[in-house]
This record gives sequence, structure tokens and C-alpha cells, in this order.
Amino acid sequence: MLKITGAVLAAGLALGTQALAADAPAEIKIGTLYASSGRFASISMPVHSALKLWAEQKNAEGGVFVKAFDKKIPVKLVAYDDQSNTATASTLYNQLITQDKVDLLVADSGSVLTAPAVAIARDHKMFLFDQTGTGASFFSKDNPYIALMADPVSTVWPKPVADFVSQDGPGLGIKKIAILYSTNEFTGTQANAFRKFVKDSGAPIEIVYDQGIPTETTNYTVIINNIANTQPDAVIHFGYAPNDIAFLRNVADVGVNFKMLFSIYAGLETELLEKNVGEKGLEYVYTYVPPSELEYPVNFGMDMKAYKAAWDKKYSDGKVEFGFNAVAGYTTGLVIEKTLSVATSLDQMELRRAVFSLSGELKTLDGTFALDEMGGQIGELTPLGQLRLDDHGHIKFVSIYPHETATGKPVYPRP
Amino acid sequence: MLIYALVAGVLFGLYFSLVGIGLNLVFGVMRIVNLAHGDILMLGAFVAFGVVALAGIDPLFAVPLAFVLFVLVGFLLYWVLVPRLQGSVNPEMLSIILFFGLSQVIEAVTTIFFGTSERSIQSRMLGTVFSTIRIKLFGGKPGASGPIQIFGQGFPAAWVIASITSLIAIALVYLYLYRTRLGTLTRAVMSRRDEALATGIDVDRISAAAFGIGLGLAAVAGVFAPFMFGSVTPAFGADATVTSFAIVVLGSLGNPLGTALGGVVYGVCYMLVQTYLSSWADLLPYVLLIFILLLRPSGLLGRRVRVA
Repeated sequence: MLKITGAVLAAGLALGTQALAADAPAEIKIGTLYASSGRFASISMPVHSALKLWAEQKNAEGGVFVKAFDKKIPVKLVAYDDQSNTATASTLYNQLITQDKVDLLVADSGSVLTAPAVAIARDHKMFLFDQTGTGASFFSKDNPYIALMADPVSTVWPKPVADFVSQDGPGLGIKKIAILYSTNEFTGTQANAFRKFVKDSGAPIEIVYDQGIPTETTNYTVIINNIANTQPDAVIHFGYAPNDIAFLRNVADVGVNFKMLFSIYAGLETELLEKNVGEKGLEYVYTYVPPSELEYPVNFGMDMKAYKAAWDKKYSDGKVEFGFNAVAGYTTGLVIEKTLSVATSLDQMELRRAVFSLSGELKTLDGTFALDEMGGQIGELTPLGQLRLDDHGHIKFVSIYPHETATGKPVYPRP
Repeated sequence: MLIYALVAGVLFGLYFSLVGIGLNLVFGVMRIVNLAHGDILMLGAFVAFGVVALAGIDPLFAVPLAFVLFVLVGFLLYWVLVPRLQGSVNPEMLSIILFFGLSQVIEAVTTIFFGTSERSIQSRMLGTVFSTIRIKLFGGKPGASGPIQIFGQGFPAAWVIASITSLIAIALVYLYLYRTRLGTLTRAVMSRRDEALATGIDVDRISAAAFGIGLGLAAVAGVFAPFMFGSVTPAFGADATVTSFAIVVLGSLGNPLGTALGGVVYGVCYMLVQTYLSSWADLLPYVLLIFILLLRPSGLLGRRVRVA
């Protein structure tokens, strides 16, 4: 009897294992979009290139470990080009879900091209791995189908610069500030958050200029003249990389010297900005200090040095710049990898549970991965820094706020 | 603020006259809408990048180079594409499809070779030839070229150089059209293509010249694009084509010199809107297009509505 029972159990176990192996897909399909052209190409291609680098690296090792099937399975990136067009992106996100039936959905880079994915993913009950879409409206208590991988959510991102202006600013002589922002989800949210932080601080700071302009703006000469007429002590510019390039170039061209000048992408895509604006144009500009300058300790994936070496090896032609977005794409890959290693199935809500279980535990080259209850990233904060030139005339970062992570004092006013 | 906006608008607008004039010349002569016009502009910018990267010289040297290069490209493209197009039942409609395709191909090929990132040229590079001449003639030391003062206010030196170049280019187009035999024949073709053909004018030769010059002017405008727009990417062409089209219609479709006026009107309106209603600035080309088509379909300098 015992023998028969043992045989039945063994047969059952064998069948069960066979069934599990038979159910395992040949590959894990990760659907995503990228913009090879248009306004967002310069922030999308580094993210996508990084995700490709991660996928190729994992596939070379036989795939990623998928707990749901207890084995390594190769990943396949199903990627389409949305050409920076939100209408095209909407169609393609739908195609990834309904036609390609991808296992995991990853948004394109930036809030503008992530925005269509948020609604579509929610409608299809598909969990969205939001790479760098930080818009505040994406994250709400009634939408469980999203988590932000690699940027702080825009409602908290500008806190270091707002705190610096409101707490250290009056001591430095900053009393009047100008805010200029591109009217899109990403920079619009940052401007709103910055304004709120400054006003709530109760600091004696007056906002003398506060204007939104189209994201497509490529010429700032008249706007800079208008700002200069208000005689601000600090100018805070929230724009995408092409906006920052045009803005900083025009500031230099017009010959205006603002006492303090903040821009987002001077720090996030320094290589790109350096090529286009030049070292002198970036000197003394305030910006976010990217993870590539901070060397976070990691408990998963490559550290910054190893990753930069891998990037330089794969993308040696220099067509795609290494910067904040290149780190973001790789971080997304790491979060996906870790998620698959703890998720017990590929059910979308189980994937969500797995992603949230990593919060506070996962430490990558981008910092500590930490989510709030709505999926907003609150761990990978970027301090405020200032760009300076070293003895060889090369750009270097000096972290100035918060004080506990500061590596130097601010130079104010800009010489 | 008002004076600054007006002066900036005139400078900016003169540059946009150069951006649009080639498109209008091509349309005026051949009744073809060149939707790849903006892409030729983008390629002109890449010629400037090449001149600076390879020779390290003033990008102004790219102006004659880009012009000659794209006049030749224009001739070549004309003989490959246009005669077949003109032989079709509806050349105007087919030209839109054909040149849209050409635009896509140019953008894709440029992306493959140069990547998608923004590219630019340092502003101090533009006009270094003038400071070199100044130093040779009058002595002194080379220094960073700063803004140019007009009415006591600073404007980017690149804008002034681009505006002067535009004025020279517009004057040369005027001289070509009104003071040369080829120009007279060009105007004859612009006026009545069929009648010009019947009177024995070599319409193909005139059209090829106009197409080449049109592309050459676009490429010259492209040389200044990195300075006027901050940076250029391979995808830059589509927006440039739309703006050019708005300026051309504003001036007068089929009248190249109307484009000069259209550009200035566009530039001044743009700067005024950016000053007083900055959020709406990018709607301007479309708003102007709608207004001009509703109020004066023939354009500011048009004499009559063209029957297409």
C-alpha cells in the first residue's frame, strides 16, 4: 500500500513539475515604446538603450529567474517607435497589450509619453512600469496599476531647490525669484510643487515672474529680457533638455547674468548640455545632482563604475549620451528582474505586490528604490548642486543642499 | 519690453523670410509643395556642423558651401523626381505625398548616421571671420563676441548676422528675378506655365534652376538654425516646414518677395505674443494661417486668389 501511495505521489509530483515546465513561456515579453525622433528622443533613447543593454546582458546569462516558473527564462523586448507623438504612443501601447499580449508593460521615457500609457494600462488592468514619468496626476489612490521606477515623483523632486531658496536664500540675499516652466505634466508639476514649497515655507520670498510657455519653445531671447526687467535674485527654469539648451544658450547670447540660475537638465543630461551649451554656459548653474555623481552603495545589479564601463563598451559611437536617463533605463531593468524573482505569478496584481515588496529594500546605482502608497518614487532623491569648472576646465558637480550631503558652498551671486 | 519685442521680432522675422523664401520659389515656379523643405534646412545645419567639426572654422563658411551643394542636389532631385510628377494628372496632390516620403527618408537616414540627440554650435564661433579681419586691419586682441546693442538693448550677435544674411539673400533673389534673363523667364513660368511652354521657354531648365535655388536657400537658412533655435535634431524638419508654409501663405503663395514681408510679420507677432501671452506663442503659425486664409486668401502681397 505504501509503495502504491509513494508511486502515486511521485507520479503526481513529476506530472506537476512537467505541467509547470510546460506552462513556462519560452520568453518573458516586455512591451515598451521609445522615441527615435522628435522632441523627446534625447531623453527616450538613453532610457531605451539602457533597457536593451540590461536585456542583452540577462539573456547572455540565460535569462532572468522567474519565481512563478522556478527557472531562468529569456526576456524579449517588444519595442515600437512612437516618434515623440502621444497619439502614436496611445495606439502602440494598445497594440502591445491587445495584439502582442506582452507580459509586462513599460512606459516610454518622460511624463508626456507616459501619460497615454497610464490611462490605457489602467483600462486594461495592466501594471505599468513607469520609467521616468513623474507627473503628479499619474499617481492616485484609485489607480493600483502603476509604479515609478527611477525618478522622484515631481511633487517631491523640486524640494531641495525650494528648501535651498527659502531657507538659505534670504541669507544669501535672495528675495525675488522668477519661475519659468514648460507647460507639460513633468515640468508643470515641478513648477507647481516648487511654488507651493516656497509659499508654504513662509520665507520672505517674492515671486516676481511666473510664466508657463509651450514645451516646443526654442527661442527665449524676449522671455529672458522680460525676466531680467523684473530684476530677480534667482531664476528657476523647469524645462526638458531642448528647452534648457535653448534657454541657457540665449542667456549667454543676450549677455544677461542672473545671480542664480537653476535648470533641470544641466545636471540630468550634463554630457548633452555640455556639447550644446558649452562649459562656460553651464558654469555656476544650479541643478539636480544625478546618481552618477553620488556612487550609491548597491545590493543588486552593477554599481555606477561597472555600468558606465558596460555602457561605453556597448555604445562606443557616442550617438546616445550617458546621463541620468541612461541610469533610469537600467534601473527599470533591475526592478523588473527583481520583481520577476519574487512574484509568484505573472498576474498583474501579483506583479504590483512584488514591485511594492521591493520598496525600501532594493538598492541600485540609482539609490534606494522606495515607493509611496500610490506608486510614486520617493527614494531616489536628487540633492541640489552647482556646476563648476575644475582646473582643466571640465564640468564638476558641487552638492550644496541638503547640508548633510553638501560637498561645498554655493557661489552666489554668479560671477 | 515692447521695443525689445519689436526689434527682436524684426530680426527673427527676417531670418524666417529666408526660411520660407525657397519654399515659395519652388511653389511659384512648379506648383509643387515641397514638404521636405524643413529637412533641407536641417541638412544645411548639418553642413555647418561638419564645417565646424572638420575644419574648426567660422560656420559662415558653410553658407556658400551649403548653397552650392544644395543647388546641385536640387538639380539632381529635379531631374529624378519632378518631370514624372509634372506628367501626372494631379501633380500638386502627388507632390505632397512624394515630398512627405522624401522628408521621412531624409530624417531616417540622418538619424541613422548622426543619432537623435540635439546638436549645436557654440555661438562664439559665428562671425569669428569678422573679428579676425578686424584684428588684421586695425589690430587689437581677439575676444568673446558679445551681444549687439540696438536701442541700448542687447541682442544675440547670431540673430543680427542671420538677419543681414537673410537681407542679402532676399536682395539676390530680387536681382535674380527682376534683373536677369533667367529671372524674367522664371517669372514668366510663375505667371503662366502653359503659355511659357507654348512660347518656347525651356520650362524644365527654368524649373530645375528654381528648384535648385530654392533648396540652396533653405540650406543657407539651415546653417543659422543651431543659433536661432538653440539646437537641431534630425526631426527638426517637420516643424520648420509648417512654419515656412505659414509664412509663405501669409506673404503670398507663389510670390517669393511676399515671403520677406510674411516673415517679418510672423516674427513681430511671435515676439509680441511671447511677451504678453507666452503660453500661446506656439499656436501663432496656425492662427495666422487661419486668419489670412479667412481675411485675405491671396496673402498680404497677393493680387488675386490663385486657382489651383
